[in-house]
Amino acid sequence: MTLPQNQSPAEFEYYVNATSIEEACRALGDGVGTILAGGSDLWVQKDEGVKIFGPRLINISRVDELAEISIGNDHVRLGARVTMTDILNHGELGNIAPGLLEAANRFASPQIRNVATVGGNFANASPAADSVIPLICLDAEIELARLDGNAVAIRSIPSADFFTGPGKTVRTDDELITAISFKPRDGKSLARFFKSGPRPALEISIVSLGIAADILDGKLSNVRIALGAVAPIPFRARKTEALIEGQKIDDKLIHAALECLVSEISPIGDVRGSKWYRQHLARTYLQEALTDVA
Amino acid sequence: MNKIIEKEEIVGARIAKLDAPEKVTGRTRYINDMVLPRMLYAKIFRTDRVHAKILKIDVSKAEALPGVHAVITAADTPDGKIGVIKDNPPLKGDKVRCIRDELAAIAADTEEICDAALRLVEVEYEDLEPVFTCEDALKPGAPVIDEERPDNIAMGQNFSHGDISEGEKASDHIVEGAYNVHYVTHCNMGTSCCIADISASGKVTLYSQSQYPYIMKMDLAPALDIHPGDLRIVQPPVGGAFGSKLDVYPNEPICILLAKKTRRPVKLTYSREEEFIVSPTRQPVEFKIRAGMTSDGIFTFREVDSFLNNGGYTSWGATTPYVTMRTCTSHYVVPHVSYSARAVYTNNPFAGSFRGYGNVQATWCVEIHVDKMAEVANLDPIEIRLRNANEPNSITPQGSDLGCIDLVGCINIAAEKSGFLEKWKTNRATWDDGERYKRGIGIATSLHNAGGAKIHKSDGCGTILTMDDYARVTVMTGASDIGQGSDTVIAQIVAQELGVPIRDITIINNDTALGPWDVGVHASRTTYIAGNSAKRAAIDARGQLLSAAEKQSNVTADLLDLRGGYVVQADNGEVVIEIAKLLRQIHFAGEDSTLVMATDYYEPPTEPEDKDHMGDMSAAYSHAAHVAEIVVDTLTGEIRIEKIWSVQDVGKIINLNGLEGQIEGGIAMGIGFGLHENMQIEEGIVKNPSFRDYHLVTAPEMPPIDMTFIETDDHEGPEGAKGIAELPTIVIAPAIGNAFFNATGVWIDHPPLTPEKVARAIWERDNPNLAAE
Amino acid sequence: MSLKVEIAFKLNGRSVAREILTSTSSLQVLNRDFDLAGAKLACGEGECGACTIMVDGVSRNACLMAGVDLDGRDVETVEGLWEGNGLDPLQEAFVNSGAVQCGFCTPGMVMQAKYLLKPGKKLSRDEVIRGLEGNVCRCTGYHKIIDAVVAASGEAS
Repeated sequence: MTLPQNQSPAEFEYYVNATSIEEACRALGDGVGTILAGGSDLWVQKDEGVKIFGPRLINISRVDELAEISIGNDHVRLGARVTMTDILNHGELGNIAPGLLEAANRFASPQIRNVATVGGNFANASPAADSVIPLICLDAEIELARLDGNAVAIRSIPSADFFTGPGKTVRTDDELITAISFKPRDGKSLARFFKSGPRPALEISIVSLGIAADILDGKLSNVRIALGAVAPIPFRARKTEALIEGQKIDDKLIHAALECLVSEISPIGDVRGSKWYRQHLARTYLQEALTDVA
Repeated sequence: MNKIIEKEEIVGARIAKLDAPEKVTGRTRYINDMVLPRMLYAKIFRTDRVHAKILKIDVSKAEALPGVHAVITAADTPDGKIGVIKDNPPLKGDKVRCIRDELAAIAADTEEICDAALRLVEVEYEDLEPVFTCEDALKPGAPVIDEERPDNIAMGQNFSHGDISEGEKASDHIVEGAYNVHYVTHCNMGTSCCIADISASGKVTLYSQSQYPYIMKMDLAPALDIHPGDLRIVQPPVGGAFGSKLDVYPNEPICILLAKKTRRPVKLTYSREEEFIVSPTRQPVEFKIRAGMTSDGIFTFREVDSFLNNGGYTSWGATTPYVTMRTCTSHYVVPHVSYSARAVYTNNPFAGSFRGYGNVQATWCVEIHVDKMAEVANLDPIEIRLRNANEPNSITPQGSDLGCIDLVGCINIAAEKSGFLEKWKTNRATWDDGERYKRGIGIATSLHNAGGAKIHKSDGCGTILTMDDYARVTVMTGASDIGQGSDTVIAQIVAQELGVPIRDITIINNDTALGPWDVGVHASRTTYIAGNSAKRAAIDARGQLLSAAEKQSNVTADLLDLRGGYVVQADNGEVVIEIAKLLRQIHFAGEDSTLVMATDYYEPPTEPEDKDHMGDMSAAYSHAAHVAEIVVDTLTGEIRIEKIWSVQDVGKIINLNGLEGQIEGGIAMGIGFGLHENMQIEEGIVKNPSFRDYHLVTAPEMPPIDMTFIETDDHEGPEGAKGIAELPTIVIAPAIGNAFFNATGVWIDHPPLTPEKVARAIWERDNPNLAAE
Repeated sequence: MSLKVEIAFKLNGRSVAREILTSTSSLQVLNRDFDLAGAKLACGEGECGACTIMVDGVSRNACLMAGVDLDGRDVETVEGLWEGNGLDPLQEAFVNSGAVQCGFCTPGMVMQAKYLLKPGKKLSRDEVIRGLEGNVCRCTGYHKIIDAVVAASGEAS
């Protein structure tokens, strides 16, 4: 991309090739760091001159402890540097989180899936981020690390509360995303992910929708519905969730849920799609998910 | 007994492209990869307005930046203008007319320094009232874009044949329609790039992606104030062109002017974003059509009026009506026809030529409309086409002899192979079944020139052929290969004629100082015209070889043949002499020494259109029929193409690999045009200048293609071949559009059939009282 | 002004080192500092795959990879497939299948295909199609590229 004619590209005055979380956090300590992981968003945005980048480039792509996937009995933890390809190839993870598997499958392109990280997808905070949606549906928590004195301190933020605006999160400038963790649903459950676009790849979602719920006797409970690209941040459709919660799924409920969803979201229109189309797609995806359950 | 050599058929075989090994190894240096010694880099400062008076351009800060070697503005530029009606000054000094306008250019040590210098250019403007649509620009009192043309009309064409009112009288039905064809652009993988170098004696070498290097010299010269003869155009390998380089655009004279000023080689490359905003688009057209027929569906008249959004300047887009007109007047037999076109200045970016020229637009309009007429006549899409099909050797209203065409064969084969009629009927029965996914099948056909197109005084091409002492052949041709594979085709034709292996042929075609003249690579003409010229030169050289062999043997030339590097006896293949040995014998023969060399200039037997648009401008014509079978998701609006049947009259197959590749590639481009490629231009601003938001077709969207080639064996074409490259791009989109109607019972008149447009059309049909916002 | 950093990595089997600006991409480093033009700039934002290279056995877009991140890596470009070896069977398949027209996308296609190929495993057409979905070609319509990769799969690598 060329720059708009009045903006400068990001320049980096310092470079840190971190090999541990502690080292990365130390480099982030004074809040002027730019974190480099897969680079698939950063290297485009750097030249667009739209975002401000800290002058210290901190490469975390050799911090091995950030690349682990651990699956316990009631806890799944994805290191921040886990890539979309890692998710696709894992096998067990896909069975536990089929919505996440589908999001990874529809993510960008093979080359980008090979490097794009789940932590980066959260950090970049695009309203259209694909992997974020199924993880919000799983009530995932974001682990943030910072150096407190000489020790690394961790705090956890619910994924639905993580985003504050396009490109903005609650992460402070001295914090590093270290992991995304969630508790798998047990028993029979619903986990779907929908994304617009006839191309399987290279589509920035016009709308994406994730839904997760426990299924018992044709009723859904612990319902989570999240949408991408319908609001400035990834959006939890809480009113629609409440309407469906514990109810028998039938045509009447589906109809009410679709009405509720459309009234709950207020997407913008842009080059990728009008407000009407975004609402229409959201309605279509929820309809498909609920109809398949009923 | 001597060795026996069987005849080998190189023409018609599946031959690997000569340049492929260099390309798969990454060895090919495209113009974008080239670096000349002491080369500077250039960038252009562009306006951020769409219509404004330029009050002041201050480049002093940019000039002062370390590493900057030159900054030029209109003040440093000769007065000459470029473009088909010479309305485009390379650097704008008085006013800007569209967002892509060039105000200053910088040459510096690096592109990064150029970028920094661009940020230091200061311009003061006085905004002028803009106008963006043809309708608004034609209103009395509309803002004037070009002061020399105060009516805002850049170009116009009118044609009529017969008498429309007679046609109306003969009609039982008259069907009207309006079709607006949108902005799309070439998206060459290699962005626009040129390198200029000035010799100490003042001669200019331009490394260029030009598709018409010989005429380009004439077009460039006025903007540079130099003699066209002092320009040499060198064509390094290019990353695609597809019509985008058929005119001179401001980057080339600007690059030369910077080289002149700095006396250093200067390279100017567009970023992808710049390519979207600056490089010319396909010409958008607004069509209005009225067409009549009898109750039997026999066409009686066709009346087409069109407006072309010309943008701020005039390039080849404004001339696309010359091709659009041919389809509107001559595709199917229509006794009474009229056509008009007006290219109207606006403050949008401007259009150039793009694969299919005006025929992509025309065929969308005509073919969707034919299916609408079939509905009215209660005929199926096959029957209405067959009843009105052009006949071989018929003369069109514009005076073209269609020659050995086979439109009926194209339609019948496409219909039979696809099982068209049964599917077509079944699909229609499902319109109201409430299912989400709908299946549709559609057909479209197209007529295109296939033997060159005489749009200049000459449509010729020259060849110089030499053979060395080892029977290696060098063919210098005027024809440019922009990736489509014409070099390989020419080599095949020559190899066949001279009986040498194809790897022994070297094609030279990248330098106007070496090659003989050619019009340029456009109009599906290279195989036909350059192929004919190469064939004639090869026949000449063959004659020289055979008569030399006659002298060396006791066999007369007419009983000899050339095969596998040998002169052989034609009847039994028995070797007479190795060609290389023969060449050395005649080369080193004392006073009689001679080399085998041949030259040819082939001018096709065609005529340019006269002022009334009459003339048989192509030496051959051809048709294609495509059938598309699609599945529509009526909720998301996404269309998946299940399969395509392509039937095309190719004259004669020369290279099966190349032929299939052109058809598959042309279809991919046509699918993009039909389904999702769409430059969104709002108030003159390009809103989606990137591959992120301008979607090219990728591998998963390509359906299987069943290809059938009809060999009509053109009497003039080389080996009987016709030009083939544009038809597939032209014809596929309306086949998809017609399939969409067959799937849903809903017409979408204006391409592309984007998911949103499809979803909206279905929604609005199903919710007539709830129009989508 | 950006900082300069010394990087050392393995490039097509040989150890190399350079001092580069931290603001440069791997593509710029390969194109400018090593005069390797095979990886091509066509979009600069990961949307076309023309710059695909192999890094530690994994394909990625060189335009999106920080130049400094090359440090310590094992990098393979299209030039490495041929130089010192002659045409790779995959490259031969591209030539013979008619998979090349203008060729600008070809090096990226070849490298992505190389990533997809696993010794002894025949790839299905669908696997190849999904595997090439991040590589744009404007000339060929993809079929002949897919043919080439399917034909080359199953061979020993």
